[in-house]
Parts: sequence; structure tokens; C-alpha cells
Amino acid sequence: MTRAATTFIAYGMLFPALILMGVFTFYPVIYGAYLGFSHYTAADFGAHNAPRWVGLENFHTVFADPLFQTGLLNSLKYLAVVPVLQLVSLAVAVLVNQKLPFIAFFRASYYIPVITSISLAAVMWDWIYAKDGLINWSLEALHLLQKSSAFGYLLNTDTAIWAIMFVTFWKGFGYYMVLYLAGLQGIPAELEEAATLDGASRSQIFWRITVPLMRPTILLCSLISTLAAIRVLEEIIVFTNGGPLNSTYTGLMYVYSKAFGLDFNYGVASAAGLVIALVGFVLSYLNFRLTRESGGEGA
Amino acid sequence: MRPDQEAQARQMRARAVVRKTFGTLWTYAVLLAIFVFAVFPFFWTLAISITDKTVASGISIYSFPASLLPRHLTLSNFVEVFNTFKLGKYLWNSVAIAGLTVVGTLLVSALAAYPLARLNFPLKNLIFGAILATLVLPQETSFIVNVLTLRDLHILGTYWGVVVPIISTAFGIFVMRQAYLAIPATLLEAARIDGASEMQILSRIMIPLSLPSLTALGIFTLVGIWNTYFWPSLALITNQDLYPLSVAVLTLKGQFNYDPFNVAAGAMVMMLPILLVFLLAQRFFMRGLEGAVKG
Amino acid sequence: MFKKLLAVTLMALSLGALAQQKPVQIEFWTWYLSPKFDPFIDGVIKDFQAKYPNITVKHVDKQDTIERDFQAQIALGQAPDVVNFWQDSTFAAAQAGLLRPVTDFTPVAQLKQLYWPNVLNIFTVNGQIYGYPWYGYVDQGVMMYNTELVAKAGLDVSKIKTLSELLNASKVVKQKTGAYGWLPSVKDPNGASFLGQFYLEGLPIYDKDGKAAFNTPAHAALLQKFVDLMKADVIPQDLLRKEAFQLTNELYSQGKVAFIVGGPQSLNRVKDANKDIYSKTKVVDAPLGAAKVQTGGAFDLVIPKASQHPSQAALFALFMSDKTNQAKFANVVPIVPTSIGSEIDPILQPKAKSTDPIDIATSRVAGAGRLINPGFKPPKNTQAVYKNFNDNIEAAFLGKKTAQQALDDAVTCWNANAK
Repeated sequence: MTRAATTFIAYGMLFPALILMGVFTFYPVIYGAYLGFSHYTAADFGAHNAPRWVGLENFHTVFADPLFQTGLLNSLKYLAVVPVLQLVSLAVAVLVNQKLPFIAFFRASYYIPVITSISLAAVMWDWIYAKDGLINWSLEALHLLQKSSAFGYLLNTDTAIWAIMFVTFWKGFGYYMVLYLAGLQGIPAELEEAATLDGASRSQIFWRITVPLMRPTILLCSLISTLAAIRVLEEIIVFTNGGPLNSTYTGLMYVYSKAFGLDFNYGVASAAGLVIALVGFVLSYLNFRLTRESGGEGA
Repeated sequence: MRPDQEAQARQMRARAVVRKTFGTLWTYAVLLAIFVFAVFPFFWTLAISITDKTVASGISIYSFPASLLPRHLTLSNFVEVFNTFKLGKYLWNSVAIAGLTVVGTLLVSALAAYPLARLNFPLKNLIFGAILATLVLPQETSFIVNVLTLRDLHILGTYWGVVVPIISTAFGIFVMRQAYLAIPATLLEAARIDGASEMQILSRIMIPLSLPSLTALGIFTLVGIWNTYFWPSLALITNQDLYPLSVAVLTLKGQFNYDPFNVAAGAMVMMLPILLVFLLAQRFFMRGLEGAVKG
Repeated sequence: MFKKLLAVTLMALSLGALAQQKPVQIEFWTWYLSPKFDPFIDGVIKDFQAKYPNITVKHVDKQDTIERDFQAQIALGQAPDVVNFWQDSTFAAAQAGLLRPVTDFTPVAQLKQLYWPNVLNIFTVNGQIYGYPWYGYVDQGVMMYNTELVAKAGLDVSKIKTLSELLNASKVVKQKTGAYGWLPSVKDPNGASFLGQFYLEGLPIYDKDGKAAFNTPAHAALLQKFVDLMKADVIPQDLLRKEAFQLTNELYSQGKVAFIVGGPQSLNRVKDANKDIYSKTKVVDAPLGAAKVQTGGAFDLVIPKASQHPSQAALFALFMSDKTNQAKFANVVPIVPTSIGSEIDPILQPKAKSTDPIDIATSRVAGAGRLINPGFKPPKNTQAVYKNFNDNIEAAFLGKKTAQQALDDAVTCWNANAK
């Protein structure tokens, strides 16, 4: 077959994938960036007006908006879930990485939250977090809580965001457990056996052997987890829509509600999205640096 | 060995056995605790969905511990959500959207992966690089632009509007490329000598031999799209008649606020099929990405 | 040449006529009416389609996101044609320039023959009528109560004549039974409910220049009273997140609320959810606030400017809200008809002699249409001003601001924005 024919066939087969990616993945990034510097609202869109270049005006609007500041701060707060989630997932992976009867059953059951839709999680956890819900009932039964001082966890400005983060944790630990399990296959069993013979405790083995050897996987997982945290949106929409009193209003929630809430200001929304993207980029870089440096000390 | 040494050794061995037994027990206690943590929301919701709410007066999902272990069971909540909420309609939407997405993803990925794995053509590496680059592109604003694009294409508020933007993924193409790379080159050479066209090679050799990977990719895609909330809620913002269950279940919560038993039944209708798929195809999930690549 | 031109013109005209004949579909939104009232709504739609075979109606029900979805669909070029709003959302949408005045389709004189003038007045924004009145409600229509809970609390219902007595009774109910008494609406989405509490107690919303003036010590004291009640769990904190109407239905059916004050439409849901509690329910006159006024409001059918088929939409809105269909609706659920003549329609049988709680309640409110009065008009820039108001009320309930501070802030924002 001639080279030209091969090229023709190759591009023919790639065509559907490339055109779709071009239109729905690359174009939105470029056009979205352009919108960030443009005046563009639903009214313009309806009237078929082109976006009008306004330079940094949208960014001024965004930074001057206290709601955006609240959102950005809450997104950063959400990062607190990352270290807990990663450490626990790694520990659980180590726990289920043993040859024991029924271990496959436990492993699989830990994955069930991962395949549970966030909207179902919202339905279920809403009942758990309610004032008369499961958590408060348990605490009251254990005499840890007076009925009179009980409150709904999603209704309290101090607890709502943590309650949602806890669901992220619940939904996520099985996922990272699987990724860590794959990484653990690479650690020779002899290392741990030798350490056990030397009288090392489980926690010593975990901190001195497992964690350092798993650094590449931890780096990857923390990166995924960090980016997911800074971009948190779905959880917020289904649980609280940003309330109570904007205490769960995140950065991307700002983007979403500027675009499809009551404003329909695509320009300002895109500008805010770009800021979040930049924050995500900086965090990825920091994450990379941090994991490398702490690795340097450990070795 | 002196007798006292022997006794000491025996004692140490015994202690080791005790320690090991205790350790195992402890391990199982922890395993069990995490198990309860992972699945209790599911079991509680299941319990609520089959509670017969007509039995006692003033029955509430918050009367513990009764609501965890319902005494009178019924399936009437399920009948009720199907009848009054038209749950069947949303179930069908979910099936249609999931079906189109899975078929679309498999088709696009299986086609695109072949030249990337097995043909030589100009700009091949650049294209593969660009596809992989989509994994790290900042997509914070993409949903805005995509909604506008869908409207311009006149498919906003249709099944296609949900499906078309999400079927061409780096993950899918990557998985299929790895599968094709694992097929011996001699098979292809033989087919080419026999005069088979590239399309025939793809459909008669590559795809049949990559069935495990296709299955894995299909299952991952299915679970993903079945559960997604955000994108369908946006792509169907103008036509909520087409909402899949993942979105409709929250509408259900709005409409049946006063009747959590029906909401729980709706939740279970959405959860059970995916749970079944998961239980049947566990191995793919438990191996992570590897599961998809190796099938 | 002339002939040719004539032929083309004729063709164009006949095409135009054809286009008019072409079947059109209109999209009709209801608000919180599905699935409960689907049989009624679908029945009316069927009648309408039989009368106008060229128009088909697609029914969609919306919940708490109705205003968001409304704007989204207009923004994305797929506007609905007939939308079920209520006074505040009509006000907001009309101010935003999203609605057609209904007088574009129906002359004022005709409207005045069809609907109660006080209800038309509710939907009048800057001198234009923006909605076909549909069903109304009264906030203090009747009081329904769970006899078992009330007996357990040792209360005498005939002694509850004012809202503050009702709140005191609620304290007793909470103390003696653990259930809630009455759930007042303090922060419903899509409105500014606490203003209603002020109004009922005779506290003014505006001063005589039309400026917001609800931050006197008396206003603050009333808000503080409610804040304290929520702190003591006499009224549930869930009221900050859910509509009081929805929450009341939910909890009353579980035997966790003793009183429902308002339109008797709640009873239908109770009847479905728990027959036992329904059978223990009695109906009496509702207690009133210090102002001794009854408030109420109405839902309407509006036509968006962006509708592709406004005249067909108007036809449907008129049909849906005519006196026969409103009477039919009132027969299904005890709403207050807003059309003149529904209350004497033979469909709406007098039910005064029945012992069924719903029948009693229906007969008590059916004729209340001419009395519906929300008490005050929403401010300009409704959406932003109400959101700020609600945020401040919530801040007070959550203890983030004192009652006085919250009201001061709300008044400041109100007077700055509602110009």
C-alpha cells in the first residue's frame, strides 16, 4: 500500500475522534480563555453579538466581588481533605494487601461508594446529617450529645463544608485504595518481612518503608486529588448549592452560577474559571515540589 | 538445648501465636469497621425503600433504630414512584444516554486507536501527544463554551447534546491503543499478504482480539455516565423531560420531600443496576487502569 | 409582470395562512404541581387540545429552580410559552423585561370581567398587568391540627386566637410531646417570607415615602423572638433551607407537627401519606396576627417575551385559568379560585355539611378570592433585594448577626438598590 493511501486511511480513522476533541475539548479551552477577556452575556448570545474584547475588566470584576473571594477561600479550605484522604487510602490499601480469607470481598465493598452517584450520595447523606439523623442519634445514644444542642450538619455554617468534604472522603478512599494497591505490587514482600523480623511495628513499617517507596504513586494520587478538590462543584450543587450563608460556596460554584445561575455573564464566569485554573496549576507545581523535597529528607 | 532455654523458646512461640491471632482479629475488626462505614448509607436507604409506611401512624425515617431494621416490608414504594413520578421515563433516559455513550466511546476509540498503534503516517506522534494532553488541559471554563456550542448546533436539550461532547476521550483511545499493541505483528502481516484492507484487519482481527479491553472500557464508561450528575443536568437544562435518573433523583427529592420512602425507592432503582454490573465485573475495577489495559 | 407579482403575493399569503394552520407546540410550566395534580392538569390540556386541534401543550413541572431555569431557557433561546409564577416571581421577571403584558392579548375590560380586581392588581407592575391570575391561597385560611398531639399537650384550641398564642402553644407542644407546633415561613426560597411576619403583626414594611423601614426596635424584637424560638428548637432549623409549606407537609404526615395554618391544600398530601393522621385532623378558623389581617397571594400564568407562539400561549393561559377549570381545580384541591364565578360553579359543590376535613376547609376558603391581598408590593430590583434580605435573616437565625444589625443591613441594601 502506498504511503499516501496509509495516511489517508489513518486520518480517516482518526477523524471522528479528532473532530470531537477539537470542538468539545480544545476549542472550549481556547474560546473560554478568550471569553475571559471579553464582554459576553446571554443577551449578546441571544442577539448574535460577538464577544467584545475588554482586556482585564472581567478580572477586576471578579476580584472585587466578595463572593468570589469567599469561593476561592472555600476551595482552598477544601484542600484539607487531600492529605487525610491520601493517607487513609494508602493505609487501607496496605491493610487489604494481605492474603487473608474474604479479603477480596472487603476490597470490593470499599469500592461501592466510588460507584455510587453523587446525587445518590446527596440523598443518603442528607438523611444521615439531618438534625434527627443517624449521626446525632448515635451520638445521643452514646451520651456524647444533648438533644437540645443538636443541629443539622449541612445547616450550620461551621460544619457544612466539612460535612461535604467528609462525603468526598467517603466516596474517594476506595478509588485511591485501588491505585495504591497497584503501586504496592511493586514493593518486594521481603522488605517488610525483614523489617518485621527486626521487630518493627506496623506503623513503623508503614511510615519508614511503605510511604517512602510509594512516593511516585502518592505524588500522582495527591495531584489528582488536589485538582479535584480545587475544582469541587458537583458535591456542592447537590448538597447545599453554596449555602448556608455561602459557607460552602466554592470557586467553581462562582463560575457556574455566574454562567448559569441568574447572571448569565459568560465573560465574568470565564475569567473566574481562568483564575481557578491558574490556582490549580500553581498547586500542582507546589505539590510536585513538596513531595519531592520531603522525599529528599526521607531518603 | 537446656530445658529452661527450651521452655523459654516455647513460651516465645506461644506468645508469637497469641500475638498473631490477636493481630488477625484486630485486622478483621478494622476491615469490618471500614466495611460498615463504606456501605451503611446504601443499606439504610435500602431499608427505607422497602419499609411499609402505611403500617404505623406517624412512621418516620428518623425513628431509630426501627428505621434501620424495618419490621413490615413492602414493594409498594417502588410501584408508587413508577406510577406517580414516571420513573420509567427517567430510567429509559438513563438507558438511552448510557447506551449511546458506551457505543459512541467504543466506536470512536476503537477506530482512532488503530492508526496510532499500527500505522505510520505524518504527525502521528504529535497527534498522540495532543490526545494525551487533553488529560492536563485546564477545563474550568469548558462547560460554559460547550453549552453555547450545543445550542449553535441545535442539539442542546437532546440525548445527542449530552453524548457527543463526551465520547472522544484520551482514556478510551489510550486503552484501545494498548490493546492493539499487544497483538502480534505477524498476524497483521499475514492478513496484509492475503490482501486484507486496513478496515478488514481492524474489524476481523484487532477488534475481536481486543474484546476484553473493549468490555473493560465499556463498563468503565457505563458506570461513569450512569452516575454523572453535572454534565447531563447542564446539557439538558432546557429539556428536563430527558433527564437521566442521576439528575431526576434530586427532582424526585424535591417532589416527594414529604415522602422519603419513595425517594429511597427511586434511589435504589438507580443504584441496583450499577451495583449488579459492578459485582459481575469487579475484577476490572479492582485492577484500576491496569484492568482496562489488560482486560 | 403584474400578474407574476400577484401570483407571488398570493402564494406568499397562502403560505402564511398555511403556516398559521401548522400545528404548534407550546411548553407549559407548572410549579410544584407534579406528580400530585397531573391528572387534573393533563385533563385540562386534553380539553384544550380538543378545542384547538392545532395546538399541542407540553407540560413540565418545576420546583425550587424555576426562576433559574426560566432565565436559562430564555438565555439559551428555548423559552417556555406559558409559565406558572406567583406574585414575587412575576414582579421580578416583569422588571427584568422578560414578560409580555397580558393586555397585549386580552383587553383590560375583559380581564376585569374574568378575574377579581384585587388579584389583577397583585400582578400589576408599573401599571401593566403581567399575569393571568390562576389559583390563589390564603396564608391564614384555616388552622388544621392533630387532635392527638394537641390533647397530649393539654391545649385548648379554642383559646388560640393570635399568632403569638399559637407560638406559645407551640412551646407547650414541644415540651410535652417533642413534636413541633406551628412552622411559620421565615425564609422560603423565591420570596422574602419574613416580611409577611412583620405585616401580620402590624409592623410596617415601608415608611410613607416608600422607603424600607423595617428596622425599628419592634421589628428587631419580633425577629429576635423567632431567632430564640429556633434556638430553643420550638421551630426547626430546616426552615432556613426548605419551604415551610413543604416541611410542614412532611412532618405533619409523620406526626411531628401539630398545627398547619394556611390553605387546606396541605391536607391532600397528608391524606395520601398517612390516613391515620388525616383521620385525627380537625379544622378551625386560623389565628391572626396583631394586625388582624388575612394575607394571601396568587399564582398566575405569564407569557415570556421570548415565546415563539405568544398568541397560542395566551389562549391556553386563558383557558387554564377560566372559571370552570379553576372550579375543577378547587374541587381537586382546596385552592382559592381567582376567577369571578368559580365559587358558585356547580362543579364546586357546597360541602359545608360534610365531616371530612378537606371538605370543611374547602368550603371555608372557596369564596376568599375577592379577599386575597399580599399586604405589600415587592420592591424594585426584587431579586437582588430579596436575596440580600434573606441572607440577612438567615445570618440572624444562625447567630452571625444580631437581629437589629441584620435588619439595619437589609434596610440599607434595600434602599440603595430598590430605586
